[in-house]
Amino acid sequence: MRKVYLIIVLIIALNCFSQNKQILYNFTSVPQSMLSNPGSDVSYNWFVGVPLVSGLSANVGSTGFSVYDLFADNGVDFNTKLRNVVFSTSRNDKVSMNQQLEIFSGGFKLGDWQENAYISFGMYQEADVLTYVPKDYAILALDGNQNYLGKVFDMGDLNARAEMLSVFHVGYHKRVNEKLILGARGKIYSSIFNISSTKNSGYFYTILGTDSVYDQVISANALVNTSGLTNYIENYSGNAGSDIVKKTLLGGNLGLGLDLGLTYYPKENLQITASLIDIGFISHTKEVESYSYKGYYNYVGLTPDFILGNSNDLLEEFNDAIPLDTLNTKYKTWRPLKFNSSIQYSFGDGRDSDCNCTGGNEIKYTNSVGAQLFVMSAPRSPLAAITGYYRRQLFDSLELKPRIQ
Amino acid sequence: MNKLLGIFILILFSTSCSSDLDFDQANDLKLEPVVIANLAFFDMKANQFIVGGVEQPLVGDIMDFKVFEDEDFADSTTRADFFFEFTNTVNRAFIINLYLLDDNNTRLYAIPFSVNAYTVGAPIMVSKTEIFENAKLDILKKTTKIAFAVALLPGPPLNSNSTGSLKLRSSATLYLVFQ
Repeated sequence: MRKVYLIIVLIIALNCFSQNKQILYNFTSVPQSMLSNPGSDVSYNWFVGVPLVSGLSANVGSTGFSVYDLFADNGVDFNTKLRNVVFSTSRNDKVSMNQQLEIFSGGFKLGDWQENAYISFGMYQEADVLTYVPKDYAILALDGNQNYLGKVFDMGDLNARAEMLSVFHVGYHKRVNEKLILGARGKIYSSIFNISSTKNSGYFYTILGTDSVYDQVISANALVNTSGLTNYIENYSGNAGSDIVKKTLLGGNLGLGLDLGLTYYPKENLQITASLIDIGFISHTKEVESYSYKGYYNYVGLTPDFILGNSNDLLEEFNDAIPLDTLNTKYKTWRPLKFNSSIQYSFGDGRDSDCNCTGGNEIKYTNSVGAQLFVMSAPRSPLAAITGYYRRQLFDSLELKPRIQ
Repeated sequence: MNKLLGIFILILFSTSCSSDLDFDQANDLKLEPVVIANLAFFDMKANQFIVGGVEQPLVGDIMDFKVFEDEDFADSTTRADFFFEFTNTVNRAFIINLYLLDDNNTRLYAIPFSVNAYTVGAPIMVSKTEIFENAKLDILKKTTKIAFAVALLPGPPLNSNSTGSLKLRSSATLYLVFQ
């Protein structure tokens, strides 16, 4: 019977993990929950994560469309599906990917000299991608501008960031009193590579002109920052594998971060938690290459000059008006800031009804219902998710947390 | 037993749907944008045909046209429509020729226009659309320069006080295919 339970629980757990990493938030039976709240109410004497296995998570998400909309094997032409996706999404729809791999982790309870305080530490690798749907660029690529006289194409639609980094962290948390637990975690980031282009603006339009056939204007203010990639773009003779290992071990572009968290019990069976994760930045100074595209161009076409011969060269004119510059100036990126909060109400007496021979008199609730809020900073408006869950203690060492979102 | 049933229901709810996906479809990607853009513009005043007090019977200019020098762009272009519209308010008739030239200034193609003299009333308008496809498109893709030649036909002499102008508005429509 136990085996059946175990298998069932494993299946559910796998399902949940594949959907959202936030499942771990306040799931205090797992020490990794301290990564999403350094002030979570964990109790252990010590723990060691199994290297590379204990914490592997990946999630891919999109709003406005799904992978199925694009890649369904349903006989519909791919280009038709692509058009449908482009025209049914807005510029605020996005695709996001996050992957974390725990390389090592551990923690221990501090001795008598500092009661109810814990230290935890570890290292993990993380990859993050967030890109908004570049809607106006997609329309131009699909249709061109012929049927869009008068439409102002927004060059700010290009908004994307991608990063791979490793994180070293040490956290401290302490039960201040019966009702309150506080925690903090310091982090050192080592960025393996970064691409970010999140502050673009500008426009392009074509309208009927008075003198020339059209009035066509491009105004561009675009910047793409990259770090950690230059070696691979140009002729590269080194070993990419060992490079990445070096960058993982603090050899990349470095940054600092802080996590803060708390758990508070206004009543014994009512729990409120909150955490701020990744208050931090990375300073990109090594292998930096940025591309800027700035200027204004009013395109008239060829303008022959029959008298003085001062005719224009279109290509030169365009390149002078909106030059593409390659820069090597350092830049700073802020880590996506995450805010988690939850409220949980517990009920049902989990004490064995027959006897209480072990002497433990503390009530252990078997059921809890709760809601949790997740907000993450993003280049435009923050991403938010509210989750409701029910959680039940099956035996002392197994816990279930199915959720609705 | 009830517990087991509950868990079973939970599994039902938490099992994700799966469906057949085929990522190879991305290879079928075909973009077919149609781009419109200005091609050329001039507005030649009647008195500008007088240079040093002498009426010029023929004026012209040769301009670089390196649009198709980029091979990828040339390969992607499947058709190009060039639209021309002359508006004449000068009391003289014109013969205008646009020559498509290659690097050696060899004439590959000529687009002629004949514009009547303006007298009174509505301006003289002459328009034409040249469609470049197939072999004709290949000629356009070899073009690296465009020459404009404007010839004044005989008529009442122009002077520095002559009014009116010869105006050209021209645009291009490019049909592109990327796959």
